[in-house]
This record gives sequence, C-alpha cells and structure tokens, in this order.
Amino acid sequence: MTTSSPPARIWRELRSAWAITKKDARIYYLRPGSIMFGILFPLFLFISFAIGRDLPAGVLVPGLMAISVFFAASSIGPMAVPTERKTKTYERMITAPVSPLSILVGEIVGGAIFGAIIAAIPLIIGIVFYGTLIVNPIGLIGVLVLVSFAFSAMGIMFAAIPTDNPGDVMMILNFIRLPLLFISGIFIPVSAMGMYGAVALISPLTYAKDMIQYVLTGTGYYGPFTDVIGMLIFTGIFLWIGVRLHERNRKSG
Amino acid sequence: MNAISVNNLTRDYGTLRAVDHISFEVESGEFFGFLGPNGAGKTTTIRMLTGLSEPSEGTASIMGCDITRDAFHAKEHFGIVPEVSNIYEDLSAWNNLMFAGELYGLSQPERTRRARELLEIFDLTGFRDKKAQGFSKGMRRKLTLAMALIHEPEILFLDEPTSGLDVQSSLLLKEILSRLNREGTTIFLTTHMLEEANTLCNRVAIIVKGRLAAVDAPEKLKKTIQTTQSVEVSLDSMTSQVTADLTAIKTVTSSRHEGDKFRLFTPDPAVVATAIFEYAQAHRLKIISINTVGPSLEDAFLSIVQRQGDSRTEGRP
Ligand SMILES: Nc1ncnc2c1ncn2[C@@H]1O[C@H](COP(=O)(O)OP(=O)(O)O)[C@@H](O)[C@H]1O
Ligand SMILES: [Mg+2]
Repeated sequence: MTTSSPPARIWRELRSAWAITKKDARIYYLRPGSIMFGILFPLFLFISFAIGRDLPAGVLVPGLMAISVFFAASSIGPMAVPTERKTKTYERMITAPVSPLSILVGEIVGGAIFGAIIAAIPLIIGIVFYGTLIVNPIGLIGVLVLVSFAFSAMGIMFAAIPTDNPGDVMMILNFIRLPLLFISGIFIPVSAMGMYGAVALISPLTYAKDMIQYVLTGTGYYGPFTDVIGMLIFTGIFLWIGVRLHERNRKSG
Repeated sequence: MNAISVNNLTRDYGTLRAVDHISFEVESGEFFGFLGPNGAGKTTTIRMLTGLSEPSEGTASIMGCDITRDAFHAKEHFGIVPEVSNIYEDLSAWNNLMFAGELYGLSQPERTRRARELLEIFDLTGFRDKKAQGFSKGMRRKLTLAMALIHEPEILFLDEPTSGLDVQSSLLLKEILSRLNREGTTIFLTTHMLEEANTLCNRVAIIVKGRLAAVDAPEKLKKTIQTTQSVEVSLDSMTSQVTADLTAIKTVTSSRHEGDKFRLFTPDPAVVATAIFEYAQAHRLKIISINTVGPSLEDAFLSIVQRQGDSRTEGRP
C-alpha cells in the first residue's frame, strides 16, 4: 500500500477526494439547511423579483440559473464543514492520508454538483414552458462546471470561519450573497446601471450570469473572454484564501 | 525501526505549555500506555502525533516518516480512535466503513472484505444497514475502532478508549485490543486509570502537567505509585518523639508535616492506620483526625522525578 510514485499518489488523492464528494452528497444534499438556503431562498427571491414584470424567457432563465447555482453551490460547504467540526468527523479526514488540498477539493466538488443539479431545474422549466433554446450546449456544460466550482469554492472559503454551527457561516455568507444580487446584472441589467456599471466587475456573479446568458442566447454584455477570465480569477482567489484559512485552523487546533 | 519516535515534542496554547519537551520511543509490536491525570497533555500529544495539531517545538515520526514533513506517509501507517467517537450519524454502519475504506485508498473488493470481517469481530453484523444515529455509546466506540482498523494499520492510537463505557463493552474492547496487539499491531493508548495501564500495557509512560516522568514496565510503576499512598494523621500532641515513633511504623517509607497534620507514606495504609490507633492508645494520645489517601499520579510523578534526579550522575542545571 505504498504510494511513492507521483502518479500513484495523485490517483490516490483524487480517489479520496471523490469519496469525500460522495459522502457530502449522501449526507448534506437533503438537509433542511441545504434545501432552505440552496433552493427555496433563491427561488423566492427570484419570484418576488420577476412577478408582475413581463420579462422575456431569455432574461428570466439565465438570471434564475445564475442565482440557483450561486446559492446552491455555495451552501453545501457551510453546511458540511461546521457540522463535521462539531461531530469531529472533519478530524477523521485530517488524520487520513489525504492532503488538505484534496479534502477541500472533495468538499468543493460536492457543492459544485449540488449547484449544477439545482441550476438544471430552471433550465428544464425554461425548455418545457418557454421553449428556451440553448445556442451552445457544449459551452453550457463547460460554463456550469466552471461556475458551480467557483461558487462552491466560495462557500468552502467561508466555511473556514472557525465555528461548529452552520447557521453562523450562513449568516455571514448571506450578508455577502444578498447585496451581490443587486450589482451583478440579475435584478438590474448592467447596461441600466449607468456609471455604476463598473461596480458589477467586483462581483463574481456578474461573470457567471453573463456567461450563462451567452451560452443560452448567444449574446452577453461582456463577452465570453472577459467572463471566463473574471470567473477564473475569482475561483483562484477563493481557493487561495480558502486553503490558507483552513490550514491555519488546522495548525492552531 | 521504532514504530513511534518522539523528540522534544512541545505544544503551547498561548502561555500554557500543554506538552513540555517530551521524548520517548515505542517499538514495533509494543502495547504502550500513556498514563496521566486529566489535563496532563495526553490528548494534545496524540493530536500532534496524528496530524491534528502542529507541534510548537520538537519532532516526531511514525514508522520513520516525519509527522510534519511527510505527513501523508506517516498517516498511512496508523489508525486513530479519538476521545469522542466520530462516526457519521446519517450513514449506516456499512457506509461508515465504506467511506473510511475509500478515504484510505482501499479497492472495492478490499474494503468489502475488511468491512465484513470487522462487523463480525465487533459483533455489529446485525446493524450493518442501520444508521449510526441510534447506536449506543459502546456500539459507536466499536464502529469508530472498526473504521480505524479498515486499512489494517501497523499502529493504532486510542485516546481513553474505555472512558464512559459500561463494564461489559469495556471488557470486550480490552480483549480485542489485546488480541490485535498479539497479532502484531503496535498500540498507543492513553488512560488516566493505573489499573488499565497495568493490565494492558507492556510499557507505560507517566505524563503530568505536560512533562514526562518515567517510561517503564507497568509493574515497576505500580510499585512506585503504591508507595505514594499515605495516611494523614493529627494527634493532640505532636512532639518530635511522637513523629519519630510514627515514622518508625512498619512499611512507612517516608513522612512529612503538612500543616498541623502528619503524613506517612506507605504501600499499605490500612496496616499503618491500625498501628497508629494502637500507638495512640498505648501512649494515651487523642486522635484528632486520621485519613487514608489513595495513590496519586502526581505524587508518583514527583517521587519518580526525585529518584531520577538522585540517581543521575551528571547534574543538569
Ligand atoms: N485547544 C486548546 N486551547 C487551549 N488550551 C488547551 C487546548 N487543548 C488543551 N488545552 C489545555 O492543555 C492541557 C492539556 O490538555 P489535554 O491534552 O486535553 O489533557 P488530557 O488529555 O491529558 O486530559 C490542559 O490544561 C488543557 O486545558
Ligand atoms: Mg484527553
């Protein structure tokens, strides 16, 4: 059972990370907290925004998909990590031969898959009821992978807050997530924000929503290149900060 | 090669030094006891050895792999049963074991085979598909131990494994640990119970206030510890003649004044107490108070440190 060669080691790490992903799916996808903050919350927000306005499906569906993946993907880490701190099962992973990075990657993929599944719901509704067309299906898959990974990484970064109560993390996270809805071209299009449009650039949700719209409808505000670069930069930041914070927690433990 | 090798390991929490420059080795195949009262630093030591917390100073290695520089390989060699059973409540016993197996890189057939074996050993086969939520304390501890053994580790760490268990579960657990050790697993077990260390371990280290005293065979430590039992007595007249007479009582090893009381150390407090009664009667003295005090790890620690200090030829500052 020695894992001295680099490829064998990487393979081992990936398998352990995948075990963590599956564990998260089994345990946390159907928790009330995940359903509440990952599904119901964004759904009601969106309904209250869209109601009474005669918006075309080409605006509604990308917006709803962006919110869904944003909330859903970023909710699993903040549910799972504090819970496992409390039950000490998080320590089980730390004492296993798995690098700290692989633990986080496993947790992130767990949130990302949840986000992608939830995002598929508005898409299916759009296709069935509004006849939403997907201009670029392959692109859509790539976009969903990128976006759900990014937001799940954001959730994991917040899960580094050293608490064993998921509610604590959720509260701080919502303090960030909710304002972002208003500056990311979801409720108010960036083009209508005038000189304040530049503020949209500091929100990862801006790029996510724009790239989803682009692959669904063929048009976007910034264009795919800017969107992808913006999203990658944010993913990098979330990962970088997340790994450091989690590692600092472990060392002080 | 030593299974565990610890060199000047130290851990500070703020200004508190929880573990203070401890060094020891555990050979492969040993059943090693880490004995100390509450707050001595046992858990902190195990946490450092298993990668849960970083040493402030010093090093340690597991099967030759440094615990900080080569943590991955060090971790392949051990399993750990922490103070609190950490199982997934929402998963069945079987899925808990499957997850542990996957985490340690076992293939599907391997982990299935091991899980079946372990459920059998721990008498949990009937609960295979039950969620761990409803498990009793003893069952949780058994499942935690089974999960720690899934990858057939060479070394097993256990942090006070019998604490909080009923007598029967505790006996079963000790039996399983002894068997594992006979079959070759190196065991590192912490406890605050002298008797437990004595019956299970080949060698025992005593830790008090973060410092390590002797590492020795348990019988020897037991002897030392027993001499730290004492009788505390207060008589209405405590002249130097009286205290000298009391100190001369058979089996008394040493004595000292403690306030208005006089303390006599002995491996046999009952005999000494009886002798004191007889002495008081014969000399028409009144006993104001008399008290027997059980063995204390703290006193044992002190007496061991003293003995070590006395026998050391090269003095230390
Ligand atoms: N996370 C922590 N922060 C601050 N002090 C701690 C922490 N963990 C343990 N300690 C202190 O370190 C000392 C040793 O604790 P511990 O290793 O748990 O002892 P034991 O397991 O032998 O009962 C105690 O004084 C305890 O209060
Ligand atoms: Mg302890």
